[in-house]
Amino acid sequence: MTKKIFHSLCLVAFTVFLASVVLIMVVLYGYFSRIEQTQLRMQTQLATQGVELGGMKYFDDMDIRDYRITWIDEDGSVLYDSDADNDTMENHLERAEVQQALSSGFGESQRYSSTLMERFLYAAQRLEDGTVLRLAIAQNTVLTMLLGVGQGFAAVIVIALIASVLLARRLSRRIVQPLNAVDLDRPLENEGYEEISPLLRRLDGQQSQLKAQQTELQRRQNELEAIIGGMSEGMILLDQTGRVLAINPAAMNLLGAEGSCTGKDLISLSRDLDIQHALNRALSGFREEKSVTIRDRQYLINANPIISEGKVSGAALLLLDITEKAEAERMRREFTANVSHELKTPLQTISGYAELIQNGIAKQEDVQPFAGKICSEAQRMMQLISDIISLSHLDEGMGDMHFEDTDLYSVSEAVVQDLQARADKAGVALSLTGGPAPISGIPQLVHSIVFNLCDNAIKYNCEGGHVTVDARGDGTGAVLTVSDDGIGIPAEQQERIFERFYRVDKSRSKASGGTGLGLSIVKHAALVLGAEISLESNLGKGTVITVRFS
Amino acid sequence: MRSKFDEQLSTLNRELITMGALCENAIAKSAKALAERDLALARSVPDLSVQIDEKERQIEGLCLKLLLQQQPVATDLRVISAALKMVTDMERIGDNSGDIAEIITVAELTAADETEDISAMARAVIKMVTDSLDAFVAQDVAAAQAVIAYDDVVDGYFSKVKKLLIQRVRSAETDAEQALDLLMIVKYLERIGDHAVNIAKWVVFSITGDREVTP
Repeated sequence: MTKKIFHSLCLVAFTVFLASVVLIMVVLYGYFSRIEQTQLRMQTQLATQGVELGGMKYFDDMDIRDYRITWIDEDGSVLYDSDADNDTMENHLERAEVQQALSSGFGESQRYSSTLMERFLYAAQRLEDGTVLRLAIAQNTVLTMLLGVGQGFAAVIVIALIASVLLARRLSRRIVQPLNAVDLDRPLENEGYEEISPLLRRLDGQQSQLKAQQTELQRRQNELEAIIGGMSEGMILLDQTGRVLAINPAAMNLLGAEGSCTGKDLISLSRDLDIQHALNRALSGFREEKSVTIRDRQYLINANPIISEGKVSGAALLLLDITEKAEAERMRREFTANVSHELKTPLQTISGYAELIQNGIAKQEDVQPFAGKICSEAQRMMQLISDIISLSHLDEGMGDMHFEDTDLYSVSEAVVQDLQARADKAGVALSLTGGPAPISGIPQLVHSIVFNLCDNAIKYNCEGGHVTVDARGDGTGAVLTVSDDGIGIPAEQQERIFERFYRVDKSRSKASGGTGLGLSIVKHAALVLGAEISLESNLGKGTVITVRFS
Repeated sequence: MRSKFDEQLSTLNRELITMGALCENAIAKSAKALAERDLALARSVPDLSVQIDEKERQIEGLCLKLLLQQQPVATDLRVISAALKMVTDMERIGDNSGDIAEIITVAELTAADETEDISAMARAVIKMVTDSLDAFVAQDVAAAQAVIAYDDVVDGYFSKVKKLLIQRVRSAETDAEQALDLLMIVKYLERIGDHAVNIAKWVVFSITGDREVTP
């Protein structure tokens, strides 16, 4: 900036300077020429008078310094010359000024000397006697004049240069300083000179545009972070060398990583070879799904390559916790296996007996007991299937059943009546106590709870045992208590008896015709009705099961 | 030039960690096979040993290439030479794990009371290997020194199991052959512990340049 201004200033200074010099020279030169010419004429007249009065003697007295005086005869020969020897001089008749003087009495001319450095002015006058007196003066040319004032000019140029430098510095500083001092954050509040206000306005426009874009970006970033951060699934983005670009808190938690993970190799976060394998597959451009176990939990790794412009530029890993799902899957498989097994057992008995009868191996008197066995096994199967159906109904939710006002006591009463015969057969005393217990529930489910609990209490009892059913309201709801003094449940198995097909004593329950689903149905029904079950049991002393309806 | 070197160094780092992970896996499998008498699992360990050997050769090649082509100095030289030494120790860990697995498959080990102590010892050794690798990953001198100090625990288990076995052989409660097999196993475990200590020492060396460690 300073340099440019300096150059401009110099250019201006020199142009002005040169123009002035030329102008002055032209004017001055003309002026001086005129003066010299006038003086030359005057001197010529003086000298003419002197020569006419004193003749050759005038020259001897004359003090000549500036002028060259030549006296020329009529025929052009030189009679006297102040600067040179008159004998050696050539004839001057042809000279312009002499010719002029001879013809008109006075003549003038000017000529350059051979060196061009000097110009001579000539003035000639005819004397009375016909001779001519000529005076000449050397006049400085423009060049010599210029040379004469050269030092002065040099001084002026130096001064101009120094002034230009100083001015250029000052000017550039004054131009640039407000620009440097501009507060870029608030362009419009600056007090610069008005020439920069368009710049400031544009700055302000861009400033606000930037701010808007930044806000928008930040908002999107926050949104993305909220989504990824809030995900329960772990998510990791990696570049093509396996370095972490982004990782969400769930993934960090899962890998047990702490602090900042971006930029680190994934393998330095987790040395799990399965994860590494999945990542390598993804980085080679293949999708990979893999189930891994990390700290006793099952995860499904979903590794996807990120492909841009036909090349793998990274990978995205998604880690899903499938522990519960895997557990549910396992339980379903177990249930299916159990169901098939439970269904097969009575069928084998039935087909065995039926085959005996069909082949005629069975004796006539055995046919009836065999048919009885077939019948009871078929009933057991039917019981089992109806249990499974009610369980799957419970699993699927109660589609067509509705909550209605019902009374726990009257339901219990009906159940006790139904089971009285079976209890008598088993030699167990069944009694009902309590009073009105109004609840809101699904009658079928309430019935199956009471029925299954009582049925179990009778089944797993000894001859001469007692089963007491108590149902009563307690203000906020109703409580059903089924207590028996039967065989009881071992403490370590109490947790498991609500599992499907779980039996404490397998041989006994077969004999008593249980399916292993009764308590499971109770548990599910209670879950649907929002009732709580508690169990208290001592091996050999009996069991008390309490169900609280609220 | 330097960026390529950096890239190669980070590849070296990654390969070392991968090899370490393979070692962890090998010893964990051996220990599990020992605790659960799982012969199928034990038979899968030699495969890992082969993989570990391959990794060792690969890393050695990478180290030599780096030494030749980049002529590293100062920290870089320390890191690469430490890596060269570390792979040897890791390879030994893989071999020893394979040896343990082989004893499990060949010898007929019956459940003995020592198993509890041996399992505890195996857990301690696995912890050492894991911690030494963690120290390498995190470049943590303190953690590496903790591993070196932890070797005393493993040594303690070793002499304890040895004494128990001697007693059993004396009182003829345990078959002498089985006692020897068990002794071999605990010896291998103890060796693995020593290799973990070596790894930890090389970690310290690569960071500080200090080869003598005072715990």
